[in-house]
Amino acid sequence: MRFLDDQPGSAARNWLLSGAVWMSTGVLFGLLAAIEMAAPDFLGGYRALVFGRLRPSHFNTIIFGFLSMSLIGAGLHYVPHLCATRLYSDKLANAAMWLWNLVVLSGIVTFLLGYTSAHEYGEYIWPIDILAVITLLLLAYVVFRTIARREEPLIYVSIWYFGAALLWTAVTWAFMGGTGARYGLNDAVWTWFFGHNIFGLWVTPLALAVAYYVIPREARTPLYSHTLSLIAFWALITFYSHTGTHHLLQAPVPAWQKVIASIDSVMLLISVYAFCANVWLTLRGRLWRVEQSIALKFVFAGTIWFFIVSTQGSAQSLMGLQRLTHFTNWTVGHAHIGLLGFAGFIASGAIYGILPQVTGKPIYSAALANFQYWLMLLGTGGFAIVLTIAGLVQGSAWLNGEALYRVLPELGVYMVARAVLGTFVVVAAEIQLWNVTLTLLGRGPKREPLEPAISLFDQQLVEGQEPEGA
Amino acid sequence: MQMTERAFAIGSLLILLAAGVGVGFIPAWTTEQKPSDIARRRTPLEARGRQVYIQNGCTYCHTQYIRPQDWDHGAVRVAQQGDYVFDRPHLLGSERTGPDLSQEGGLRTDDWHRAHFMNPRFTRPASIMPQFRFLTDGEITALIAYVQSLGGKMADARVTRQKMWHKALAAAFARGTDANFAYLHSLVPEQWRTMPNPYPPTPEALARGRFIYEQSCIGCHGNFGDGNGPAARWLYPKPANFTALRRIGASGGLLYYQIMNGITGSSMPYFKTELESEKIWDVSNYIAVSFIGRSDGNTAPRGADAALEPVDPHAPPPPAPESVTAPPLTSPALQPEVNAARGGMPMPGGGRQGASSPTPAQTGPAQTLPSPRHAHPRPAPERRRP
Ligand code: HEM
Ligand code: HEM
Repeated sequence: MRFLDDQPGSAARNWLLSGAVWMSTGVLFGLLAAIEMAAPDFLGGYRALVFGRLRPSHFNTIIFGFLSMSLIGAGLHYVPHLCATRLYSDKLANAAMWLWNLVVLSGIVTFLLGYTSAHEYGEYIWPIDILAVITLLLLAYVVFRTIARREEPLIYVSIWYFGAALLWTAVTWAFMGGTGARYGLNDAVWTWFFGHNIFGLWVTPLALAVAYYVIPREARTPLYSHTLSLIAFWALITFYSHTGTHHLLQAPVPAWQKVIASIDSVMLLISVYAFCANVWLTLRGRLWRVEQSIALKFVFAGTIWFFIVSTQGSAQSLMGLQRLTHFTNWTVGHAHIGLLGFAGFIASGAIYGILPQVTGKPIYSAALANFQYWLMLLGTGGFAIVLTIAGLVQGSAWLNGEALYRVLPELGVYMVARAVLGTFVVVAAEIQLWNVTLTLLGRGPKREPLEPAISLFDQQLVEGQEPEGA
Repeated sequence: MQMTERAFAIGSLLILLAAGVGVGFIPAWTTEQKPSDIARRRTPLEARGRQVYIQNGCTYCHTQYIRPQDWDHGAVRVAQQGDYVFDRPHLLGSERTGPDLSQEGGLRTDDWHRAHFMNPRFTRPASIMPQFRFLTDGEITALIAYVQSLGGKMADARVTRQKMWHKALAAAFARGTDANFAYLHSLVPEQWRTMPNPYPPTPEALARGRFIYEQSCIGCHGNFGDGNGPAARWLYPKPANFTALRRIGASGGLLYYQIMNGITGSSMPYFKTELESEKIWDVSNYIAVSFIGRSDGNTAPRGADAALEPVDPHAPPPPAPESVTAPPLTSPALQPEVNAARGGMPMPGGGRQGASSPTPAQTGPAQTLPSPRHAHPRPAPERRRP
């Protein structure tokens, strides 16, 4: 493996591998943070390991390392594949891979040393911001040059999301880093505009794009409806971009901003349900494929988590519910359902679905991957339950006039449960790294049963016919 | 609709920019950045402390805004937009694992904060906050300055009040145990000083009191109630040694008042926001029985038994209504003659608050402060216990 490989598929492989490495690292920070919340003196009070430094290291490594890198790796495979061409430049994409790894690594180092911008989900300090924007633009260049030389006239929905997400995020990130002169609540509104774009206009579209690609492909059937994917796409960009202030519904920001954020958070369900209907109807009568394709199993589970997290999210964007849940562990539960359940499952699905395609090497052990799936499912489901209950305990006690200190001791049991459940996820992440490494070393089964390629475009679009069975 | 790269790339970018203008730029342009009545700029030391706060991610567990529905810590004032105009970056926070800090300034002494940063379990055994022993002395000093500035001018007023009382309390502490207790007891209104604990120290009540003691008091007052808890090392004046009260005596009401209200100027915090009435009576009984050696629980003067208490065979029967001739008791503030006769409270310059002097709410240093809700008369350390 050269430093800047130009082999076709090498960039996709390297991005996917990086994603697996960062997952195994990022969850360790999460585990340490979880242990500290259950047993605060356990680590003995080292400067670099204090909770407030572990926490940004945890989720920035997970979001920008694990999720972003696996999902981008998948994109670098399906974009040329769906365009029936090769990637414009694997060399450039590999250069971007090193730059992005540098972003994630310097993020960890700076957080542990105490350098942070203090903006939640935008903690990177400005030199790293610049590096990240450059990398995003570089990737966008490679992707759009690839699209420009496509052989296939139609552009599949996954490519809309991937290409657009690169541009959206480059633009918001540049503004984020570039307008540092904000004070007080202006700063809060602006940083949550950015923070929410990271979930809504970065992680979500990248993950949805993979779902649109993996689900029809592994189910070996065309996508159910082009029209639904159009609705979901345009609704996503229209509504998601307005919702940042739903993180500040109880802060003294102007009421009209809260109204916009609440309404558009609910309208977002148009996008969410259009997507879910589309991919689930694609799977109609073919759900049995889930047992045959581990990638499909992960991605399908991810779409269910997406349905849950978004429905929950819309509900908690309403003042009535957020009165109870804001500031509590309910939100931490929501964050894990979204980023670990939805995006994390799809990212693992991307690794298992696409790595064999780009390397031609079958997965080392499907059984291990399946075991990992169940560990992650148990961990995530457990997080969802435990953190939601903890949040309700906190929220109802506070609303009832209990002081925070009186409720704190009651949370111990949930904090311990979270650390234990988190251990499942940590083991899952290490299994994944092991499985990916051995796959890349060619230790997998000798032959992979070849399946003929199919077109993912829905038939209506291609042939002017109703989709099968409609 | 056919999606070309132009359609999805340019079209969606335009939508995003429109959204950015609508929910990013327009708010930034149209929101007036006018400081509220309590906002002020930070001193260089406080700004340095804010940096320490940021570096160590305090903001992940501590919010900095009070909502209308909050009752806890800092709920003396609901946050307003103008409170934040000098904050960059904002530190509103999104999770309340620890208490809100937007009005933390002046609630506690610097000593308390130092002990707490050494290890939060020292002052609060149930806390899950990390220890910050690794900070240098300079960092801790700056951090404390920052924390004491939270709440702006309202915090400044509280800090001034803390310092004023602190001087008096430190002077009293230096005069030895008996004089110190005499001084502390003189700060408690007489009704409370002479009031016995209305509830008997049953084993159940003592067990509950012990639970509260171990959660909230033990860090400073120690296992044995001798004022030698792990936090005591950092505190001056030292936490009270309850065993000395064996000699001096302390009524249940006196303990209740001090627990409820705290002792402003010392590191003894108030517990009124977190302990309901019965819990405070229980912990008073626990302290009385375990460390002072006797409790006045359920002794005369006593009123009617609460229906919940175990039946006391020696309890007097209800008095005959005809036998009661005294006028109904009301607050001394409404009865100037009673107030003057009882000696009133210490006032600035050793004067007394009596019939002719205005009530503390109308005078005193708090008058010029933004929110004179918690005005206190100034202490007079040279005054003897009446
Ligand atoms: C319709 C979709 C969604 C809506 C309306 C929504 C709404 C919300 C709201 C209102 C909050 C703030 C809660 C509070 O602070 O009280 C929140 C937090 C969060 N959401 Fe969502 N959500 C949605 C989907 C998602 C998805 C798909 C993800 C992940 C990809 C996600 C990730 C997060 C995260 C990480 C937070 C935590 C932010 C923090 O640190 O405070 N959400 N969401
Ligand atoms: C891929 C897996 C994971 C993802 C995507 C993820 C994501 C996140 C995010 C976005 C937050 C911020 C939540 C908020 O601000 O509301 C967070 C916080 C946290 N996560 Fe994770 N996480 C993952 C795995 C884990 C694991 C395995 C553990 C524990 C063993 C863990 C423990 C924690 C803890 C303790 C916090 C801090 C919660 C707090 O401040 O109260 N996470 N994580």
